[in-house]
Amino acid sequence: MEKKIGEQLLQVSGLKKHFPIQAGFLRRTVGYVKAVDGIDFYINQGETLGLVGESGCGKSTTGRTVMRLYDPTAGEIIFNDPHQGKIHLETLDQAQLKAVRPNMQIIFQDPFSSLNPRLTVGDIVSEPLSVQGVARGQALKDRVAELLSVVGIRPENMSRYPHAFSGGQRQRIGIARALALNPKLIICDEPVSALDVSIQAQVLNLLEELQRKFGLTYLFVAHDLSVVEHIADRVAVMYVGYIVEMAKTSSLYFTPKHPYTEALLASIPKADPRDRHRPMKLPGDVPSPANPPSGCYFHPRCAYCEDVCKTERPPLRNIGDDHWVACHFAEKLDLKGVKHSTDGRVLEIPKPLPGKGPKTVDAADTMVA
Amino acid sequence: MATQTAPARTNGKATTSATASTTADKFITADDVIRVQDLHLNFYTTIGTVRALNGVSFNIPRGKVLGVVGESGCGKSQTGLAIMQLTPAVGKYEGGEIRFKEDPETKQPVNILSLEKNSDEMRAIRGNNISMIFQEPMTSLNPVFTIGSQIEEAILLHQTKDKAEARKRAIDVLDKVGMPNPERIADSYPHQLSGGMRQRAMIAMALSCTPVLLIADEPTTALDVTTEAQILDLMRGLQAEFGTSIMFITHNMGVVAQMCDEVAVMYLGRVIERANIDDIFYNPKHPYTISLLRAIPILGAERTETLESIKGSVPDPYSTVTGCPFHPRCPAHMPGICDVTMPDEIMIGDRHSVRCHLYL
Repeated sequence: MEKKIGEQLLQVSGLKKHFPIQAGFLRRTVGYVKAVDGIDFYINQGETLGLVGESGCGKSTTGRTVMRLYDPTAGEIIFNDPHQGKIHLETLDQAQLKAVRPNMQIIFQDPFSSLNPRLTVGDIVSEPLSVQGVARGQALKDRVAELLSVVGIRPENMSRYPHAFSGGQRQRIGIARALALNPKLIICDEPVSALDVSIQAQVLNLLEELQRKFGLTYLFVAHDLSVVEHIADRVAVMYVGYIVEMAKTSSLYFTPKHPYTEALLASIPKADPRDRHRPMKLPGDVPSPANPPSGCYFHPRCAYCEDVCKTERPPLRNIGDDHWVACHFAEKLDLKGVKHSTDGRVLEIPKPLPGKGPKTVDAADTMVA
Repeated sequence: MATQTAPARTNGKATTSATASTTADKFITADDVIRVQDLHLNFYTTIGTVRALNGVSFNIPRGKVLGVVGESGCGKSQTGLAIMQLTPAVGKYEGGEIRFKEDPETKQPVNILSLEKNSDEMRAIRGNNISMIFQEPMTSLNPVFTIGSQIEEAILLHQTKDKAEARKRAIDVLDKVGMPNPERIADSYPHQLSGGMRQRAMIAMALSCTPVLLIADEPTTALDVTTEAQILDLMRGLQAEFGTSIMFITHNMGVVAQMCDEVAVMYLGRVIERANIDDIFYNPKHPYTISLLRAIPILGAERTETLESIKGSVPDPYSTVTGCPFHPRCPAHMPGICDVTMPDEIMIGDRHSVRCHLYL
């Protein structure tokens, strides 16, 4: 089933979130951590926008500010509701927010700390429904059972507590809770980074299936670039509170236009022992968002830095085909992306075949664990 | 508790261990730094017994990097801790041996499990001949001591009694791991450094006594991808320079592909496949290894519809699975065989073994 991508569902412009740094006896504000520092992006109805970057770049803060879990310092967050038209989320008070919240939900990173250990799974999933007054009594129970079976948890387990479930199952419960109110936009804040590889694949497949089934829109915050390439339609790369590049997934991965994206892609360890390479050295560390460098924030680590980069901060601009870059030399640089892996898979893995006949086994070899 | 740490025991499974050792023999080279053979480790807790290791065997040839991969709970970290004799007190070794050979000519191999945890012999090995890097650089460094003094501690214990000399060596080793301004770093506290810098400090500490074997337990899992690339680059460079043998514990197949010479794939306390790096990626045999490789998204592949996933999840550690531990999740499961008998480790190629009924 093909995904249908429609009009813009969310538009964010000039979004800033600064956290005050307080010091001394009087808790005076001595500075600001500019976690998100003026970013613009949009998400179309039905698509997945991947938001990637290193820790501390502000990607999670962006997700939470869009949800109004944090109040933005500046900027606009516009949600296009099909019935009510454009809603300026940044202007709403708590009561108005409650009315909008069913449209947007969030899935958290750590399935061990994002579920209340004292509530049963049924209570966890039904909480949004009772808070919004959507259902009660038997109808509520039925809806919870339906939600649990949608995410692949048997409804009989409704009365069990989170500790009885594995990490992957807990993440499914978190997803069921997010789905409860039929949201349009789901913010996935590193939903698979705490999971094992085999479980990660299950959860990614589930998210994709739900998107097709319910026409969901995802803002997918993650640091694993292979996962984002797999799931996202478009990708935005953040560096120290700023989006440095945003484009369609294939054009961002194969033809990156920002030196930071190039470095990020070159750093990924390839799961192929025949393709060993010394990764491009990206010197130094990510600067502190409380005290960022002048000009382009990436200039001290950039291999292509020139004088103008040290003084002027490049704006995010469209260089054609919806490819947005914040670099003075985006058109001039010839940057390397990832290599196409030809037939979709580098590794030709044989499918294991069942069907060898029973063997006569020496009884002494039998080991019952 | 330490008094109960008994030396290797042989239990009644003579036939099993005999067949296992013949297979394991095929992997033995003239000069192995470490040979782990049929290692069993149980945790006796108040709510049940966890069989953490059920007969782990592998060996690391001198100067090679062995990758140990598997999902959480497969026993890869416990194997590393067992070599260091850092197993928690509730853990009891129920058999097997760990032979460590410090020097190719002069020294006889030592069975680490026959040493008392706190004995002088064990202390002379731990941190000196074998050292370890842990996953979380934040929690494994002591927050109240400077980086320099934490590195000097190991040097003063094992190498020299001269404080000025120890300080000099600490700064040298910080310089080796690529720390800018090592004198200043030596005087800073862990909280003043970034995650990547802390992991460099951990590596410096581990290398301060030039160990023969380095156990790296998920050294880059907590780091960002660009920092990870720097750390892997550093470890590769140091390995080439000192010829240190490395046991590289990780769950990231990309890191394995880039770093290791040989790989042991673990599942529920057993090594289910071991081979050289190329065979693991291009000629994997065990259904678990194959499924694991299929579950990772490949970079540069145009988006495919769905990822292959392994159904179910790793069983609860307190439960026991009869037969092959992977059979409830295995796509090639053969009823009547796989759920009854644990397959022996068999050789299917040069330095390539697998524990699976498909190949018996």
